[in-house]
Amino acid sequence: MIQRVTQSALVRVLSANTSRLQSELVRTQAVVSSQKRLQTASDDPVGTALVNGFRAETRRLESLLDGVGFGRAVLGAQDAAIDEVHALLTRAKELAVTFSGGVQNPESRATAAEETEQIERALLSLGNTTVAGRHIFGGLARGNPPFIAFDDPGYDPDVNGSTYSGPTDPFSIQTAADQLVRLTTPGDQVFDDAILAVHQLTTALRNNDVDTPGTGIIAAIDNVEAASEGARQERASVGGRLGRLNTRDVEMRDAIVGARTRQGEIEDADLTQVLIDLAQLQNALEVTLTAGQALLATNVLDFVRL
Amino acid sequence: MAIFGPLSVGRHALLTHQRALQVTGHNIANVNTPGFSRQRVQLEPIPPNGDRTGTGVRVAGVDRIVDPFIEARQLANGSAFGDAVAARDLLQQLEANFPVTGGGIGDALQEFFATTNALAADPASLAARGELVSAAENLAARIREGAGAISSFQREADARFVQGVSDTNALLEKVASLNREIVAARIAGTSDNDLQDIRQEALRDLSQQLQLNVVEQADGAVNVFARTGTALVLGASATNLQTEPSAATALDGGSLSRLGVVGDSGAFIPIGTGFGGALGALETLRDTTFVQTASALDALADGLRLEVNAVQAAGFDLDGLPGGDLFAGTGAADLTVALADSRGIAAAQSANPADNTNALDLVAVQDNRTIAGLGGQTLGEYFGSFHAGIGQQTRSASDQAIIEEQVAGTLAAQRDSVSGVSLEEEFTDLIRFQRAFQAAAQLISVSNSMLDDLIGLVR
Repeated sequence: MIQRVTQSALVRVLSANTSRLQSELVRTQAVVSSQKRLQTASDDPVGTALVNGFRAETRRLESLLDGVGFGRAVLGAQDAAIDEVHALLTRAKELAVTFSGGVQNPESRATAAEETEQIERALLSLGNTTVAGRHIFGGLARGNPPFIAFDDPGYDPDVNGSTYSGPTDPFSIQTAADQLVRLTTPGDQVFDDAILAVHQLTTALRNNDVDTPGTGIIAAIDNVEAASEGARQERASVGGRLGRLNTRDVEMRDAIVGARTRQGEIEDADLTQVLIDLAQLQNALEVTLTAGQALLATNVLDFVRL
Repeated sequence: MAIFGPLSVGRHALLTHQRALQVTGHNIANVNTPGFSRQRVQLEPIPPNGDRTGTGVRVAGVDRIVDPFIEARQLANGSAFGDAVAARDLLQQLEANFPVTGGGIGDALQEFFATTNALAADPASLAARGELVSAAENLAARIREGAGAISSFQREADARFVQGVSDTNALLEKVASLNREIVAARIAGTSDNDLQDIRQEALRDLSQQLQLNVVEQADGAVNVFARTGTALVLGASATNLQTEPSAATALDGGSLSRLGVVGDSGAFIPIGTGFGGALGALETLRDTTFVQTASALDALADGLRLEVNAVQAAGFDLDGLPGGDLFAGTGAADLTVALADSRGIAAAQSANPADNTNALDLVAVQDNRTIAGLGGQTLGEYFGSFHAGIGQQTRSASDQAIIEEQVAGTLAAQRDSVSGVSLEEEFTDLIRFQRAFQAAAQLISVSNSMLDDLIGLVR
């Protein structure tokens, strides 16, 4: 307790108090305008490290979401394409069964061959499907389509066996720190057997060959059925991976909300409390200045007549 | 008593109260002078001169009202105050270069790895590659800026250190000069009150520069020693502190200053370290704090560079060639992007341009906890700790500065309470001494009247 108050002590205390209050006002003003409690690392060093972590986690999840979004588009397109393959093979099988009977004549079989040729073309077209310019059955590569065009002089499944010329490496994306999901579905596995079976069926129909073992229409029924079963299995794999991505998408969106919430709890200001603090500081400064003015204005000269 | 006795008493009283009024006026005039100590006239009666009655009043002396313990505490607090304020000021500026609101190294690091993820999703995309290179350049630039800021603050600390030494020399010279004047004043029998105030104020300023040990001498002079034991002022002689380039290399490659004196032979004699005060704080910041901070940022830059380059070396670029270094440099200050063409990013581990296996390894760098120098943390976690460390140092310095400012304020208030000028008191004294002066004049008037009466008897 100061026993003897001097003019310089009055000025010093007033100056120190107004300086402190103004400094706090400036800081509070910055908090109000930014709505961030954390203005500098020294405001909350531990919180700073946590905010850095949450911000990094959010940005990482956002970038993973981009990849997952692309993956969902790719796998969704593969799922639709393989579904279409299955439908085409079902139609090819129907035609094979229909034209394997003795009531059909060579002319009607030749007409049916026109349809199976269109199915073959459609299969090739599906095999060359792209998403964002990338071949979904060609290792997600850009550029030349993975399957040889039907009208290409080199196109001859009977001779070459496979019409696939794309990459065979698997292509995966990261969905979490230690999780990869494969996006590629090998085009040769899905389409080679199907194209060959339909091609052989077309040839058999044109040749009016019903029952030659291995190459006739009856043999084509089994081949188309086997290719259809292969497509079904690939579709199951695609569906499983798509399901994982869908689940991961939901998980990551929830995680982003969680990280942002926790980040906000650390760095965001409690605006109500800050505004109350601001009002209190303004009042305190006004009162301090008023009191200081009264104290400094009180001068012994006003009371002494020498 | 002779008839002239009252006249003599009145004359003494007039002169005494005139002197008292002068001291009061001196106090009033210095009401706003920093470091001024109020003075008080000591009145004493003039003893009888062969008679039974006294012969008036006289000035026994003019006291300087101080509490030596408070003065000593102020000197002791001065160095702690100077230390804390110097550290706070520089660390707060450094901290501003590592923002928490985004746009700093942390964000650049996150963005870099986000672009590696985009590359992994589309390894042949020139756009994704371009974004990755751009993010790498931004990250390198942010890290370089951080290193540059630390380096510039080290340079500033050194410049402030040299300036502080210059200011210290001026103050040492002032103290020595005042010592000379105080000793001379005492020999001459004149008042040295104001000289002591000026010297004490100089010592207070000096104590903020470095920690002092002040020893008062019998002749009124003070000897001043540094915490390290070096004599700074001995009587009227001041040591001229010097700085010269030390053997230590600064973060910017230049030289740093060291403190010493020039001996009789003209050789520079270093006077060690640990001076306390602002000089001590600047020395610690310059030689320890900023060096450690720069080293920590170097570890981040080295970890990033070596790890990313190792992944690059394990893969093939878009043209099927072995991957080259993505980052170049030897630390944080010179970290740059070495790749001139984004085709050089090694996203594949085969000749297939659609192969993203190496890009996935690049993505995985952000989860690697075995990077040398990062203490088992990932790059992101390490930066978080680094950032928090800067915040912690600044917080600690700020808290210490607040404490020292409060202590300094309390001591200043206590000193004011004892030594400060109160206008109320001074005006009271003014009236008191004025009235006494008027009464003494009245006494002379009465004595004069008595003399007139006496002379009138013989006419």
